[in-house]
Amino acid sequence: MTLAEKTIAYEREELLTGCQAVAQAVRLADVDVIAAYPIRPYTEVMDNLSRIIADGQLDAEYIVADSEHSQFEIVKHASSVGARAFAGSSGTGWMYGFEALVVTATDRLPVLFLVGNRALDDPGAFGVEHNDALAIRDMGWLLCWATTAQEALEHVLIGYRVAEDPRVRMPMALALDGAFLTHSQHMVRVPAAETVRRFLPPFDLGDRRLHPDNPISIAPQVNEDWVMELRRQNWEAARRARRVIEQAYREFNELFGERYGTPFFDEYMTDDAEVVLVGLGTVAMPARTAVRRLREHGHRVGYVNLRWFRPFPGPELRASLARFRAVGVIDRDFAHGSPDDGGVLLHEVRSCLYPLPERPQVLNFLTGLGGRDISIDDVTSMYEQTLAAGRGRALEPAVRWIGVREEAARGVPEERRP
Amino acid sequence: MGFKDKLKEELFPTIWCPGCGIGLIMTQLSLVMDDLGLDEGNTVLVTGIGCTGRMGGYMHFDAVYTLHGRTLPVAEAIKTVRPELKVIVVSGDGDQASIGGNHLLHTIRRNPDITVLCNNNEIYGLTGGQAGPTTPQGTKTVSSPAGTTTTPVNLQGLVNTSPHAFYAKTTVYHQGALRKAIREAIAWPGFAFVDITSQCIENNGRRIGFPSANEMLMHYKREFRPAPPGSSALESHQLGIVRGTPEERAPAGVAAPSGGSPSRGEAGSGEGEE
Ligand SMILES: Cc1ncc(C[n+]2csc(CCOP(=O)(O)OP(=O)(O)O)c2C)c(N)n1
Ligand code: SF4
Ligand SMILES: [Mg+2]
Repeated sequence: MTLAEKTIAYEREELLTGCQAVAQAVRLADVDVIAAYPIRPYTEVMDNLSRIIADGQLDAEYIVADSEHSQFEIVKHASSVGARAFAGSSGTGWMYGFEALVVTATDRLPVLFLVGNRALDDPGAFGVEHNDALAIRDMGWLLCWATTAQEALEHVLIGYRVAEDPRVRMPMALALDGAFLTHSQHMVRVPAAETVRRFLPPFDLGDRRLHPDNPISIAPQVNEDWVMELRRQNWEAARRARRVIEQAYREFNELFGERYGTPFFDEYMTDDAEVVLVGLGTVAMPARTAVRRLREHGHRVGYVNLRWFRPFPGPELRASLARFRAVGVIDRDFAHGSPDDGGVLLHEVRSCLYPLPERPQVLNFLTGLGGRDISIDDVTSMYEQTLAAGRGRALEPAVRWIGVREEAARGVPEERRP
Repeated sequence: MGFKDKLKEELFPTIWCPGCGIGLIMTQLSLVMDDLGLDEGNTVLVTGIGCTGRMGGYMHFDAVYTLHGRTLPVAEAIKTVRPELKVIVVSGDGDQASIGGNHLLHTIRRNPDITVLCNNNEIYGLTGGQAGPTTPQGTKTVSSPAGTTTTPVNLQGLVNTSPHAFYAKTTVYHQGALRKAIREAIAWPGFAFVDITSQCIENNGRRIGFPSANEMLMHYKREFRPAPPGSSALESHQLGIVRGTPEERAPAGVAAPSGGSPSRGEAGSGEGEE
């Protein structure tokens, strides 16, 4: 008898937005402490959680903080005393709490944060961009993107499981594209609480838990005498996280049915593909549609949806992408002034491919910024350009803007200025 | 010139919900500005993120739509570099008292000559109606379905930690008192804070049982009373002005408010002079 046969994996199916699915997952994870401060598009998570608690479905402390900085500090230290803790934010709110985010990682406290991706101020835009979540990429966080409400729900559970593992103990950020996922409704199968309990053991911080019986000091002052060793410990934890993630998906699949093939990324119609696009988040939707349409016309194209950004699946992605003649990297972010002025994901993917003796051609598409729609036509054009590059044509420039109004981007002409 | 010249009517209707109290503040601010001869040449608006903060975009003034909570350092910076300008801050209760609370605490101490109009709708309006720093205890909001458990910030007490500050309490129903408060606050030589109770009908009022914005205005009419002359502090639901002692080092070119500079303790009624 397998584990799955002994339990009901999913108890019901309902229509949920990405935010609602995350709130349901927080309930299922039996979180102890939630701190909140409103900012779109994350706000719907905190609003739903307050309702879930008021309805008696979750017994948790719920604190509306005075700002993100205090919000993040509250959950961080709730975690240090042994509470499973949850917070979330978006865009500029996430950045306002950045000081706390950094130390949550260096203190190795496995809090889970939801990031409803949003453009950074100024201007005060609400639409999706990935720079908010990506800002923590070098800080010792786990960072992963969901593309559907189902994945969002399940990755809260997988996230806590990985983050709290004694081999890891890193904070976890789960990113959802603002509006396109946070506020779109999907049919979601809600896992049974009993099965979740089997997957996600109670939180135990072991001998690092702050308790009168276990006097320890958190974040003591150390300098050149210790900092390097501490950084090394973070480095080791991030390295170990890869195997812990794989194990978590294996057990998740066992309990909930074969939900996930590979943990770190999933591939769509890549078996015989000549070229692929790689992206993060909901761009997977128009991309998969474009793949199907292009294949109807005989183009062998595929899509690689990168789920985990930290830890980055270096060897796995390298082995996968080595099979293609060209790779187009989609960035819903910017890295101004970086090599070739490409996006963040470009640099990660390109450096991941560098050790290969024969590398695919790599193009970069900057697109969908500030919540601009990435249409099927946009993605089709990216595929056409990547196919050409795969055949050795039109390799320059490496970095291309898709969906930008070029003329408007040049600014208001002198004569039209007030 | 009329007060309408202060407004970008071409952008109307505004983004605010029908019945929102913010428009009533904008109207009175425009009227006072017209009276005092304030225009884009001598006045700057600094607004905070939130529904209230959108006011800067609807008025013919140079305006900075600051980061959430940061109006006061921005206003202070402008006033420091261009002391001859009038600097008027318009922002929400959340912006001022929550995420910007630390700035409020310390700006009060430095007593710069700026005016703050705080649209106190007792809620985070723009984000959908979560309980904020001024939400009365027990209020049911989307972040407190069973009622808030925390006590609200005492804005009057906070502002009056400075012996020099000006604090006025009014509502958007009491348009005369509102206009007087705005006018005196702008003329005050130092930090002046106008605490304006107003209705967020969509993300607060309806949820706590008010069928319409008008019902909220009628509620303010019933509940609020002018403070008796001579009160040194305002009780809740009292309208009036509490003035500190103007600081000696008042910047050149700024006149004391008409009628002298009374020390704290004289709470004017503020009601209905228009
Ligand atoms: C750092 C940061 N955190 C959160 C937000 C989201 N946010 C936008 S407006 C707002 C609060 C609005 O409430 P208030 O200041 O009372 O203004 P109102 O909308 O009620 O006029 C919040 C929390 C933000 N823009 N920036
Ligand atoms: S949400 Fe509330 S504060 Fe904002 S415009 Fe509507 S009524 Fe006014
Ligand atoms: Mg407000």
